Amino acid sequence: MPQISFSSTPNLVLRLPMWRSRLVLFLIFVGFIALTARAVWVQGFGNSFYEEKGNKATLRSIEMPASRGKILDRNGEVLATSLLAKAIIAFPDAVPEDLSKEKLTQLAHLLEMNEGELKKKLSSERTQVFLKRQVDLEVAKQIKDLGIPGIAQNNEYRRLYPEGEAMAHIVGFTNVEDKGQEGMELAREKDLAGQPGRRRVIQDRLGRYVEGLGVIHPPKDGADLQLSIDSKVQFLAFNEIKDAVEKHHAKAAGAVVLDAQTGEILALANWPTYNPNSRAHLSGEQLRNRVLTDTFEPGSTIKPFTISTALEKGLVQPNTSMPIGKSYVVGKKAITDTHPYGVLTVAEVIQKSSNIGTAKMAMQLQPQDMWEMFQAVGLGQAPNIGFPGAVAGRLRPYKNWVPMDQAIMSFGYGLSASLFQMARAYTIFARDGELVPATIYKSNAVPKGTRVLSAKTAIQMREMLETVTQAGGTATKAQTMGYRVGGKTGTAHKVEGKGYSGNKYRGFFVGMAPMSAPRIIVAVMVDEPSAGGHYGGEVAAPAFSNIVAGTLRSMNILPDSAVKQMVDKDLQVAPVGAAHKVSLSR
Amino acid sequence: MNRSTVILLIILMLCALSLVAAQQKTRSLYVALERSQTEERRLNQEWLRLEYEQRNLSKAARVTEIARKQLHMQPINPGRTQYVTVD
Repeated sequence: MPQISFSSTPNLVLRLPMWRSRLVLFLIFVGFIALTARAVWVQGFGNSFYEEKGNKATLRSIEMPASRGKILDRNGEVLATSLLAKAIIAFPDAVPEDLSKEKLTQLAHLLEMNEGELKKKLSSERTQVFLKRQVDLEVAKQIKDLGIPGIAQNNEYRRLYPEGEAMAHIVGFTNVEDKGQEGMELAREKDLAGQPGRRRVIQDRLGRYVEGLGVIHPPKDGADLQLSIDSKVQFLAFNEIKDAVEKHHAKAAGAVVLDAQTGEILALANWPTYNPNSRAHLSGEQLRNRVLTDTFEPGSTIKPFTISTALEKGLVQPNTSMPIGKSYVVGKKAITDTHPYGVLTVAEVIQKSSNIGTAKMAMQLQPQDMWEMFQAVGLGQAPNIGFPGAVAGRLRPYKNWVPMDQAIMSFGYGLSASLFQMARAYTIFARDGELVPATIYKSNAVPKGTRVLSAKTAIQMREMLETVTQAGGTATKAQTMGYRVGGKTGTAHKVEGKGYSGNKYRGFFVGMAPMSAPRIIVAVMVDEPSAGGHYGGEVAAPAFSNIVAGTLRSMNILPDSAVKQMVDKDLQVAPVGAAHKVSLSR
Repeated sequence: MNRSTVILLIILMLCALSLVAAQQKTRSLYVALERSQTEERRLNQEWLRLEYEQRNLSKAARVTEIARKQLHMQPINPGRTQYVTVD
């Protein structure tokens, strides 16, 4: 039997029709065509869809945070700053129903809310609820560590005010969205607010940003704002008015300290006040910046302006004597003094604060002259210091005045001004007759003043104002150890309904120091004092004295009056070297 | 295929590989930059926080309180001050 190899077995000889292989070849070809077409479609014409898909996975547009500017005092101390905080957000649907009681208690504790309240929030119908905003980073971390699903955190800023209630009325506060609501925060919102930017990046699978594709718009941090306020002086003034309110059971009080040379506001304190760091009490009366927004009849503090006008016109001299008497009738009104005086010189009219003497001088003046004087020192016009709510007060045009109006206005009734306006008006005496624009921003240059009085009259008036604080004056309590001070008291009946209240007063003192070369003007107002007197010389002058002493000391101003040394001059002073040995540890 | 083609092909391959490497390097550097910038922001925040704390601890209200109550200090007054002037 012949051997036949497997490959040549006749059984395997099979001739396939040619068309089959052709068909397969063709199908493969068609397959390739389809693939190519698809590739062209995917990469060419129809690629926007895929590009979008791809971008969605990798491209990110992220926010570039910008911070709100700080508010600083004149020495660069922080008055308001923004710190990073977290908003705690819950997605109620994602929070497990069977959350352990223990974790819920812990969360409630960290959020400082009770469990019932928290549960109510977590069972809300909304997709997302704020559990708490502006949470400290440390607390936020603890919340994160609890690892509760459905609780997320967002970055936000929290505004903090280190000076708290002492500075509240100047700095103001922001709302939870970091928008200014009061004070400088509101007035300078535009400059303080930062504008967050945006940029595009490529993100990899691990969530890292691996490539920057440019900035869409750059972030702009808010500008820092430097005020003219000196936080030491502010604290001092604030404490003094707080003490005055407590001591005299008063309703409210305010104080302003102005730099007499530059017109800068060194302090502006109000009581009652509020704590801007706590959101609970940010409404109501205590928000009012009384120094700027409350106007009142300035009473006797206006007298120096009336009398300066008379001096300026040459109608009287400081030593001109005039009969005063018990009362002085103008029109239908009889003007009286608290004590009857016989004859007073012009200087004594100021010193004793005689209404009759002032009215007698005023009646020799033209109404227009008096009005021009009041107008020139800024009464009846809102002070242009860029502060929200600063009011103008009331000064009626002189054409409508009847003689009685002129008489009572000469000693501060029938017109109104804010404490701030009064303080600023006194710069004409401190600066030898020039009125300077007041500012709440730090300025390094001494501004150009507007001349209102001749230097001679201003100096004469300063001498008279000094006598007010000396023996025989109305404000001996304004005396300040080491410094010569001068000023004018004021006590006004408060307006109630249609007339004046018989037993409600406002006591003021507006003055300056040191008298040899005035550097500061201090105005103090105490509203409705009900214990320990009600005269400006009793309620406001002591606070004035303490504010002056502290402020001049902190400004390193040399005393200008003789001081009785309380320390024995022969006292052995330890040599300088010895001082170093004093241990500073407690 | 002549020799120059082979050399060029190898160079092309090397270039392509170095491109990939450079891209990788860029990305890792960018990641590092990002991290540093995040750190910068964090440190800035930290600085702000410390500045705030420092202010909080050094504010007049606190200093006065401690000086008066704990250290029993009194305010100075001109009667007990020797003034030195620069002439």
